[in-house]
Amino acid sequence: MFNLKTTPFHERTSALCQPQNWRKWAGYFAAGSYEHTLDREYWAIRNAAALIDVSPLIKYVIKGKDAAALLHRVTTRDIHKMKVGQVAYTGWCDEEGKMIDDGTVTRLEESTFRLTAAEPNLRWLTMNAVGMEVGITEVTDEVAALSFQGPNTRKVLNIVAESPVDELKYFRMMKNRIKGVEVTISRTGYTGDLGYEIWMDNNRDALKIWDTLMEAGGDYGIAPVGILAMDMARVEAGLFMLDVDYTSASHAWIEPQKSSPYELGLDWTVALDKPGYFVGRRALEKEKREGSIWKMVGLAVDWVGMEKIYKQVGLPPQIPGMAVRGSLPVMVGNVQVGYASTSTWSPLLKTYIALAHLQKPYFELGTDVRMEITVEHHRQHAPAKVVKLPFYEPEWKKR
Amino acid sequence: MTSKHYDTIIIGAGHNGLVAAAYLAKQGKKVLVLERRSIVGGTVVTESFGESFTVDSVQTGGMLRPDIIKDLKLSFPTRASSTGQKGTVLSLSTEFPFISLQPDGNHLTLDAESIKRISEKDAERWPEFVRFMDKAAYILDTAYATIMPRLPKNLNIREGYGLLELGLELRLAGRKDMLNFIRALPMTAQELVEEYFESEIVKAAIASVAIHDSTLGPMSAGTGYTLIHNWMNRGGLSHPNVGKAGEITNALADAVKAFGGEIRTDAEVKNIKVEGQVAKGVLLANGEEISANIVLSSADPKHTLLKLVGAQDLPPEFVWHTQSIKMRGSVAKVHLQTNGNHGIPEGTLVIAPSIKYLERAYDAAKYGEISEKPYLEVTTSENTVSIHFQFAPYALKNESWQVAGSKVEKLAIDTLSEYFPNLQSSIINRKSITPLDLETTYGLTEGDLNHGQLMLDQFLFMRPIPGWSNHKTPIDNLYLCGSGVHGGVSGASGRNVVKVLK
Repeated sequence: MFNLKTTPFHERTSALCQPQNWRKWAGYFAAGSYEHTLDREYWAIRNAAALIDVSPLIKYVIKGKDAAALLHRVTTRDIHKMKVGQVAYTGWCDEEGKMIDDGTVTRLEESTFRLTAAEPNLRWLTMNAVGMEVGITEVTDEVAALSFQGPNTRKVLNIVAESPVDELKYFRMMKNRIKGVEVTISRTGYTGDLGYEIWMDNNRDALKIWDTLMEAGGDYGIAPVGILAMDMARVEAGLFMLDVDYTSASHAWIEPQKSSPYELGLDWTVALDKPGYFVGRRALEKEKREGSIWKMVGLAVDWVGMEKIYKQVGLPPQIPGMAVRGSLPVMVGNVQVGYASTSTWSPLLKTYIALAHLQKPYFELGTDVRMEITVEHHRQHAPAKVVKLPFYEPEWKKR
Repeated sequence: MTSKHYDTIIIGAGHNGLVAAAYLAKQGKKVLVLERRSIVGGTVVTESFGESFTVDSVQTGGMLRPDIIKDLKLSFPTRASSTGQKGTVLSLSTEFPFISLQPDGNHLTLDAESIKRISEKDAERWPEFVRFMDKAAYILDTAYATIMPRLPKNLNIREGYGLLELGLELRLAGRKDMLNFIRALPMTAQELVEEYFESEIVKAAIASVAIHDSTLGPMSAGTGYTLIHNWMNRGGLSHPNVGKAGEITNALADAVKAFGGEIRTDAEVKNIKVEGQVAKGVLLANGEEISANIVLSSADPKHTLLKLVGAQDLPPEFVWHTQSIKMRGSVAKVHLQTNGNHGIPEGTLVIAPSIKYLERAYDAAKYGEISEKPYLEVTTSENTVSIHFQFAPYALKNESWQVAGSKVEKLAIDTLSEYFPNLQSSIINRKSITPLDLETTYGLTEGDLNHGQLMLDQFLFMRPIPGWSNHKTPIDNLYLCGSGVHGGVSGASGRNVVKVLK
């Protein structure tokens, strides 16, 4: 029988998780939320400090003479240009230029990298390593990870970490110690806020890190945060999720289910100017030349318009209290021009927002569309506008 | 150091490489053939291992497709009636006898007259068998002359037309023969011969041709196909033109030169130069770079793609498929120079006393061992005796080919001496070629003479790998034209590639 695994922090998270709303994440138990409503957890991300157990993230250590060459070949980024201590967000594609998965590449040492992924990729990595001197090891179980997100996180880390993190720039990584335990801290996250991810060996010391942060964060509004609140924050940040906002080319049933990095708005991660072959290069060059047919955009639903629709049945607008991972048709006139893949109420922006995939030419900024909403069991279409992603980007995110 | 620029560089001066070069040179293209050995021919070669010790070292005799001979205006002896000529049925010629050796010296020549000696029934069935095999060989030959589509990609019009022609040929073969042909392909050689014959000697002798050059036994599925394949290649059971393999490739080399093409021997290609997934030329082992608009490789697909190009420039799934091509050579050759008193008659002789004997010989190969009781095929040419030895698997379980070579040599000579006692004392000189030699000297990955085993999952549009059966590769301007591609016998691959280039 297949049993879900527990993360190194389970002793703490299970004690804190009041609703017992465990979610399945890459074969692990992950707390959906720690309280019965998401408000406090959401606001911890945006206003204070959120501690999120992200240990289920799939992680690989790629090591050896050709480690950079392998990642250069597999991903769309120019890996050879990365400096030690640098982190790069990237997608990777099949030969047709369709996304298989996405994650971050961290250059831990000259020829040692850590790659994170949403799904297992060992076979794909191995297939790409033919003739290379490189070792690929999955370390998902061996490496514990905490995501520490929110405007107060820097202050808290400076209290507990042996070396200050003030100089740690956006998408950089440093080696550090917390309570004598060796960790690497990267300035990364999945919330679009100031934030860090703390990586450590999976052993009893990991709990020491959790406890230390929780204690030091007490004065800074720290809260343990589950993946439901994170889901709201990541939509505001314009960050998509595999299997929710796109389907991996490796298990799509039909061609239209696949997405290219361009279609997902990842133009900036596709280094067509990098030297040599990389998987999908030809197809991506072609798409770049000819333009994409689809594009992932942000939709902001018009409150007044929605209010009118609800008013017809005598209700004020009803908004789900969490991100909705369900496909909603997007219309122009009576024609469907795309679909929203995740929608959520943004408590900060006070707007109903969505990540949507729209066909050319409707993905242009400012385009007026209508998104399906269900009003008292009836399908209706609320007016919405194509807006720039991310929806929310605080000035302290990169500062 | 960069030298001249060519329209087309052809890697390997085997029969397919030379055919492609000759056709292109004839079109007026500036072509250069690069051969790593100091002689041309590849495996279709007659070479000397000492004074008066000249043999067809790898492939015995052979033929070219008649249309190639005609197109290139070659003067080369063909078998009087061979496949590739529509409707001709092979004469039951005694010119090149095929003989099953018997321990009692009562050797059986496979023709209607001699078979009658052991089975009236088999002798009666013999003409029908030969007729069917000729027909089947003709259909297969037509298939080999057709460039395969890149399934599962959509058919383009030209590929579709070729297939239409092939379909028409199949239909014209007659409903019964077409059905029997399709049915024969996946059958075992044993099942196929048992449908015709009762005598074990006859059945085994024919079945031996099915497993020739393959790492398969007569009870392996798909040896119906390999029997038809080898029948087509030889124009029957026996080898034509023994001792004249080199004449084929020398005639082709002369044609290349006559059409203005260049051939360089002792010119080993180390790399195919690739820029942005486009082939730009080659780098020789001596450091010389030669540029070209198009590079053709008649080397096997594994060597071409994984060694000369390298996995780093190829898509992962393509690499995976290429790695998975089954090579599995298990042929060794033992050539003997004698004083002429070996006592072995002319023709193609086999030691294949029973189907089980052949299957047991193959069993050894499955476990990485050399057959203790091998299947041998023997040909003579003047004072030389050539023994084709199966099974001698490339990947030996317990020993290396550096030491196993002499073991095979001794086994081959001892086994054959049981039938010809004078052989041993007549030997003056010997030359063995192991599967490892086939790899290192002749450039055949894992010593596989077929550039990839002839199996049902590696033929037609699945050869060399699914989706890439039309000579093209993921590298623009790099094409495969050797035996590893569909049609790679009797020069068909070398000729077909020229059509793809248009």
